Amino acid sequence: MTLLALALAAVLAIACVVYVARPFLREPAPAEDRLDEPGELERRRLALAEERDRALAALKELEFDHRTGAVSDEDYRTLVGPLRREAAEALRALEPRAVGGPGRVHARR
Amino acid sequence: MIALSVAALLAVFLLYTSIAGGGTPSLRPSQLSEQHGEVALAGKVVHGSVRGDAREGGLRFRLRDVKGTASVPVLYSGSVPDLFKEDRDIVVQGTLRNGVFVAEPGTLVTKCPSKYEPAKPGSQDRA
Amino acid sequence: MPELGRAALIVALGLALYALLVGAYAAWSGRRRLAASAQNAILAAFAATFVASLVLSAALLRDDFSFTYVQEHTSTDLSSAYKLSAFWGGQEGSLLLWLLILTGYSTAAVAFGRRVGRDLLAWVVPVLGGVCVFFAFMVVAVASPFATQPAPVEGAGMTASLQNPYMLAHPPLLYLGYVGLAIPWAFAMGALLSRRTDERWIVATRRWTLAAWTFLGVGQLLGAHWAYEEIGWGGYFAWDPVENAALMPWLAATAFLHSVMIQEKRGMLKVWNMILVVGAFLLSLFGTFLTRSGVVNSIHSFTQSSIGPWFLLFIGIATAFSLVLVFSRLPLLRSQTRLESLISREATFLYNNLLLVALCLTILWGVLFPLVSEAVRGEAVNVGGPYYNFFLRSFGLPLLLLMGIGPLIAWRRASLRALGRTFLVPLGVALAAGLVLLVLGAGSSIPGLVAYTFSAFVLASIAFEFVRGTRARRALGASSWPAAFSSLISRNRRRYGGYIVHAAIVLLAIGVAGSSAYETVREGKLRPGQELRAADYTLRLQGIEQRETANAVQVRAVLDVERGGSELGSLRAGKNHYRVGDEVSNEVGIRSDLLTGEDLFVTTDRIDGDDSVYVKVFVKPLVNFIWLAGLVFILGSLVTLWPDAREQRRLLLRYEPQAAPTEA
Repeated sequence: MTLLALALAAVLAIACVVYVARPFLREPAPAEDRLDEPGELERRRLALAEERDRALAALKELEFDHRTGAVSDEDYRTLVGPLRREAAEALRALEPRAVGGPGRVHARR
Repeated sequence: MIALSVAALLAVFLLYTSIAGGGTPSLRPSQLSEQHGEVALAGKVVHGSVRGDAREGGLRFRLRDVKGTASVPVLYSGSVPDLFKEDRDIVVQGTLRNGVFVAEPGTLVTKCPSKYEPAKPGSQDRA
Repeated sequence: MPELGRAALIVALGLALYALLVGAYAAWSGRRRLAASAQNAILAAFAATFVASLVLSAALLRDDFSFTYVQEHTSTDLSSAYKLSAFWGGQEGSLLLWLLILTGYSTAAVAFGRRVGRDLLAWVVPVLGGVCVFFAFMVVAVASPFATQPAPVEGAGMTASLQNPYMLAHPPLLYLGYVGLAIPWAFAMGALLSRRTDERWIVATRRWTLAAWTFLGVGQLLGAHWAYEEIGWGGYFAWDPVENAALMPWLAATAFLHSVMIQEKRGMLKVWNMILVVGAFLLSLFGTFLTRSGVVNSIHSFTQSSIGPWFLLFIGIATAFSLVLVFSRLPLLRSQTRLESLISREATFLYNNLLLVALCLTILWGVLFPLVSEAVRGEAVNVGGPYYNFFLRSFGLPLLLLMGIGPLIAWRRASLRALGRTFLVPLGVALAAGLVLLVLGAGSSIPGLVAYTFSAFVLASIAFEFVRGTRARRALGASSWPAAFSSLISRNRRRYGGYIVHAAIVLLAIGVAGSSAYETVREGKLRPGQELRAADYTLRLQGIEQRETANAVQVRAVLDVERGGSELGSLRAGKNHYRVGDEVSNEVGIRSDLLTGEDLFVTTDRIDGDDSVYVKVFVKPLVNFIWLAGLVFILGSLVTLWPDAREQRRLLLRYEPQAAPTEA
């Protein structure tokens, strides 16, 4: 029994070691080995994309709240203007020229 | 604004603890004295000391320090938990009067084997 | 076979160490293949732990008493299901279960988290590895489930009260919850370590947090139901430290789920969210520690426990690590947005958070104070029901109210006039309900009446939301009312799923209020033929039955129940006297009224030789709403958790626009 147990344990250990070494076994001489980190440009783009989504989502929710009656007509009128402006600004900021780099962004429907 | 709410909640908390106290002290038989008033008494049921009937006339037994020999006679009436036995640790509330700890009915709680947790009591004893 | 188990766990420990050390180095130096290798180590650790778990499970099912653990927690006469459940019945096994679930979750999180960005994932791996190292170390060196002994013929058996279907499910569900809170924490730490300021970690872990929170909640309800039926003292929650241990992380996670919504919508509260996710994880570690280390019996038994000091050490390390990391990255977490108005949905979320955290802290204090007092002053103190119930009422009732107010208020700013209009209907319903209840006699308990009135308000506001939303969708062109209703929910899963969960909490509140504030308790001694009246029930003792089973002698008092002139059948309550170990278990009799949710709960204190019985009878109105709440809770969580293709597309566009298909 013990011999079997130790044999199985050895198989397990070897399998695990092989699996852990797999990335190196698959690519013994890769072109590049860098972990891609988002650069400054990419970080800005992400922040802007999040802001854009936030503004658009807020607009959508305002419309929904207004339609279901949670937000009154006058409250809607007060709030929708600034929100639309925010969304427009966010969309504009994401245009390729503004960001100044790769990665075109497609506007949300 | 956040600071204000936090302060308000803290005030509620402090008000309560100052009025109702932070908790009932739980004493050992050796710490008990007539001055204490109503307290929780925790100890071990002395072997061979259980007499009487909790429902008719009162259950009498001696409770001693878990780690010691000082003991006090206890008079208890009310429901007795199934786990109550000699040599078990229990907690009971009441007052010391004329050398006898008179317990509040229904306040007897056996401490040792855990009632509510899924862990087997055995693992507790070992711990 | 125990050697295989032991070896597998050592392999798991080695792999976890690799994931921690090599993973950290790979993330710090930016090496792709090394980071991938560390990720693989996590999966391999799961495989190794799984093997060890199989070994233990096989030993349990086989009655292999050469395993000390098997001998201590099972016996040959147990059914297979209960033998298997002994896996988590003891300290060593439950630690192994923690490790199994942890490595399992980590593997899944890493596999599905490939989308979040390699640099973030590269840091998540060592963080998860670190937690795995602790638990692997515990089962390898401190509390091994694979200790052996010369095999005795029979095992010590399982406590009778644990042989119950609820106890099969309760610990694993709780652990799925506890461990689940490690994932959002690890991603949060990973985000900080990789110096990311975006919300990707939140987006990636939202469903994890929700699932863990649901498991924790359902696990606690099962535990409460078990205590109600099995222990039978008449209640379902006693503010026992072990019960509090699960409640605290659940409250912190509730606060986190809400405040994370604010961060997603407004970009605010980033630091607060970090603190909450750290708190939730630390509390779940603390909860495991409380339940398993024996510290609650006495501070002295804790120091004799083998795992106690290690747990405290690890909690200390995790706390220090988290706090240092958060504070060192504070500049990254700064946000421009401010709270615009004290009357807005953000503000109600904030109040809700404050109340939840306050409740959580008061419970924490209630648990720690006796331990601290005994350690410092040598004086034992007991913090009991009155303390906890006071704060549950003080913080819980406003929370209940907020659940109704929140959905009715708009984001950013709400004018008082608009508020007045939206509140009119729900407020009216609530006041009407309150008056009706007052007339019906609910005034006997003010907190109870307040709870009911607030509950009516919240239910009305939730119903109102559903009605309004359905009407709006109908106006938009939905084909029928049911179609409008289902499209409403499927398009706004988070919102309406959340409303369903709120409704579940309200049902819970109603059940708790009814069964505690309005219960009737009667005690008495009955001889055969005698009656006891409680509320509008009359119980008559018919006689005593005695039955012998394989392992116990079952004694039951048979009571005939009558209400309002009609016979309701008979109820049996009594004791089981077990031959092994001289144990006595309390077997309660419960009659549930399906229409009103009321329970007639009978427990016997003593059955004498002359066939007289001391009974205690509880009439608990609405108590079954609590268990119903559990079902609604699961439903709401499922709706909220359901994958949303639209949402996935949106997120893909945001984070990987080059990978997304072009849209016209």
